[in-house]
Amino acid sequence: MLSNLDSLMHGFSVALTAYHIMLIVGGVLLGILVGVLPGLGAPNGVTLLLPLTFTMDPVSAIILLTSLYWGALFGGSTTSILFNIPGEPSSVATTFDGYPLARQGRATEALTYAFLSAGFGALVGIIVITLLSTAVASFALRFGPPEYFAVYLLAFSSFIAFGGGTPLKTIIALALGFGFGMMGTDTVSGAMRLTFDVPDLIRGISFLVVVIGLFGLGELLLTIEEGPEFKGANGRIDPREILRTAARMPRYWAAMLRGSAVGVWMGITPGGPTAASFMSYGIARRVSRNGANFGKGEPEGVIAPETADHSAGTAAMLPMLSLGIPGSATSAVMLGGLMIWGLNPGPMLFVEQHDFVWGMIASMYLGNVIGVVLALATVPLFAAMLSVSFAIIGPIIVTVCLVGAYTVANAGFDLWLAVLFGVMGYMMKKLDYPLAPMVLAMVIGDKAEDAFRQSMLLSNGSVTILWSNWLVGTLTSIALLFLLWPVVAMLLGRRRASRAAMAAARQGEAV
Amino acid sequence: MLTRFHLELIFAACVFAIGAVGLYGSLELDTGWASDGPQAGFFPFRVALILMAGAVLVAIQAVRARAKLRPIAITDRAGMRRILWFGLPIIGMVALAQWLGLYVAMAVYLLATIRLGGRRPWHTSLGVAAGVTLVTFVVFEWWFQVPLLKGPLEIMLGLA
Repeated sequence: MLSNLDSLMHGFSVALTAYHIMLIVGGVLLGILVGVLPGLGAPNGVTLLLPLTFTMDPVSAIILLTSLYWGALFGGSTTSILFNIPGEPSSVATTFDGYPLARQGRATEALTYAFLSAGFGALVGIIVITLLSTAVASFALRFGPPEYFAVYLLAFSSFIAFGGGTPLKTIIALALGFGFGMMGTDTVSGAMRLTFDVPDLIRGISFLVVVIGLFGLGELLLTIEEGPEFKGANGRIDPREILRTAARMPRYWAAMLRGSAVGVWMGITPGGPTAASFMSYGIARRVSRNGANFGKGEPEGVIAPETADHSAGTAAMLPMLSLGIPGSATSAVMLGGLMIWGLNPGPMLFVEQHDFVWGMIASMYLGNVIGVVLALATVPLFAAMLSVSFAIIGPIIVTVCLVGAYTVANAGFDLWLAVLFGVMGYMMKKLDYPLAPMVLAMVIGDKAEDAFRQSMLLSNGSVTILWSNWLVGTLTSIALLFLLWPVVAMLLGRRRASRAAMAAARQGEAV
Repeated sequence: MLTRFHLELIFAACVFAIGAVGLYGSLELDTGWASDGPQAGFFPFRVALILMAGAVLVAIQAVRARAKLRPIAITDRAGMRRILWFGLPIIGMVALAQWLGLYVAMAVYLLATIRLGGRRPWHTSLGVAAGVTLVTFVVFEWWFQVPLLKGPLEIMLGLA
C-alpha cells in the first residue's frame, strides 16, 4: 500500500511538467469539444487523435488521450442538460433530470451538480486504481501465454454475462469483430487470411476505421434522423450559484457513494460507462426518498448517473493497463494505441514501464480536477457554439471523421470502409446490437488467438494446459462460467419461475 | 414502411452473408488442428459458422416475435428523407475523393450540403467550405506533416 503511494508521488513528478500540464489542458478542452458535438464521442475523438500521437513519447501520448476522454465525459453532460441532446451515449441518463432542471431556470445548479459529482466519481475510480494496481500487477511474473488467453477469454465472456443486451446479439457482435480482425496476415503462420486477393485487404481492416464508422458516422445518422434542433435552455453561469450548489453537495453523499460503487464495478467488469449510468439512475430512483420527483428535475437524478458514468470511465483503465482488457470502447481504442506505441499491455507494464503507468495515473487526478474547472468555465462558449445550426456543424463533423479515417493508413479505400461501417453502426444501434464488444474483439481478438496458439505449441496441442495451475485454471473456469451465463441464468430463472408458479398454485388451493 | 421486423431480417441476412464469405475464405486455408495446435484457418472457419448460426437464430427470434416487432417503425418518412439527404452526399464525397483528392471533395461536399441541404446563403456556404478546407490543409500538411489524399488540382498548383 505504501509503495503505491511512493509510486504515485513518482507519477506526479512525471506528470507535473509544464509540457504535460499543457497537454492535459489541451486534451480536456478538445475532449469537451468532442463531447459537446453530437456524432463525435469519446471513442471517436481518441481515434481521431491517435495517429497524431505516433511520434510522441508514450507517457505524453497517453496523458493527451486520457485527458481527452475525461473532457469528453464532461462535455457530454453539458449538452444533455442544456439541450436535452446527449453529446455522449453515456450521458443519456443525465438528460432525464438535468434538462427539466435547466428548463426551470436552474441550469447552473444542474451543471454544477453534474460536474462536481462526475469529478467525485472519477476520483473514487482513480483511488481504486491507485490502491489495486500493484496487487494486480504482482501476478506479473506468473503470466504466460495460457494465462493471457484465459484473461482474454474472461473479457469476451464477461461481455456476454454482464454487458447488457441479449447474449445472442453480443455473440454476433463479438464474432463480427473477430472476423474483421482476422483479415490480413496471420501473425503465427504468415499466411494471408480472408483477403480474397484484394490488395487493399492485405493490411487487414484497422479497428480505428471501424470505430470512426460505427461511432462517428453511425451516430451522426442517428442524430440527423431525429431532426436535431438545438433549442436550449439559457447557458449563462452564475458563479455565486456554483458555490451555493457546491455547499449543498454533501447532502447527497449516499447517492454519490452508491453511484461510484456501481460505476467502479461496471468499469472493471466490461459493462462500460453507458450501462453504469443507466443502472445507477435506476437504482437511485428506487432507493431514494425523492424517488417520486425523478424525471421532473431532481438533483439526485443528475448526481446518480454522473458519478457512475465517470467512475466507470476511470475504473475501466485498471483492467486495460493491468490485464490488457479494456472495460469500455474508448479504452479499447487506447489499448490499440498502447500497442502501436510499442508497449505491451498487461501485468508486465507495471514492472517495465513504471514512468508510463504512474505518470498516467497521476495525470488522471490532475485531468479530472482541471476537467471540472474547465467544464464549468467553458459552458457559455460551447452553448453559443451549438446555436450554430446542425446544417453547418453536421457536414463539418463528417469531413473530420473522413479525414481521420484517411490518416489511419493513408488509404482512399478506408474512406469506403468508414462509410460502410457507418451504415452498419446505424443498423446495429437501431437493433440493440452492442458495439463495444465488436471493437474489443477487433482489438484483442488477434492477441487472444496468438496466445491460444502459443499455448498449444507449448502443450503439443492439448487444451489441458488451460487448467495446468490454479491461476490459469481459475481464470479459465470463471470465463467458461460467464460464457455459459445466459444458459445458467435461464435455468435458475426457470426454476425460480416454476417455484413461484407452484407457490401461487398452492395459494390458489388454500383459497 | 421499414419496420423493426424487416430491419432485423435485413441485418441478419447481412451477417449471414458475411459469415458465408468468411467460410468460403477460410476453406482456402488449413482449418484443422495439427500437433502444434490450431492452424491458420481454424478460427476463421469457426467464427464464420458462429456468424451464420447466430444470424439464423436472430431471424427465427424475429419471426417468432413478429407481432411485437411489426408495429415498431425504424423511422418515419421525414426521418428517412433526412438520412438520405445526409448520407448520399457523404457517399458522393468519398467517391469524389478517390480521383480529385480529399481537399477538393471536402470543399465541394461542404458547399453543396450547406447551400442545398441546409439552404444557407451563398456567402456562409462558401465561407465554411473554403475555411474548413484551408484549416485542414494547414493543420495536416504543414503542422502535423501528415499528407492527405491529393488529386489533379493540387498537382496543377504544385502542392503535391
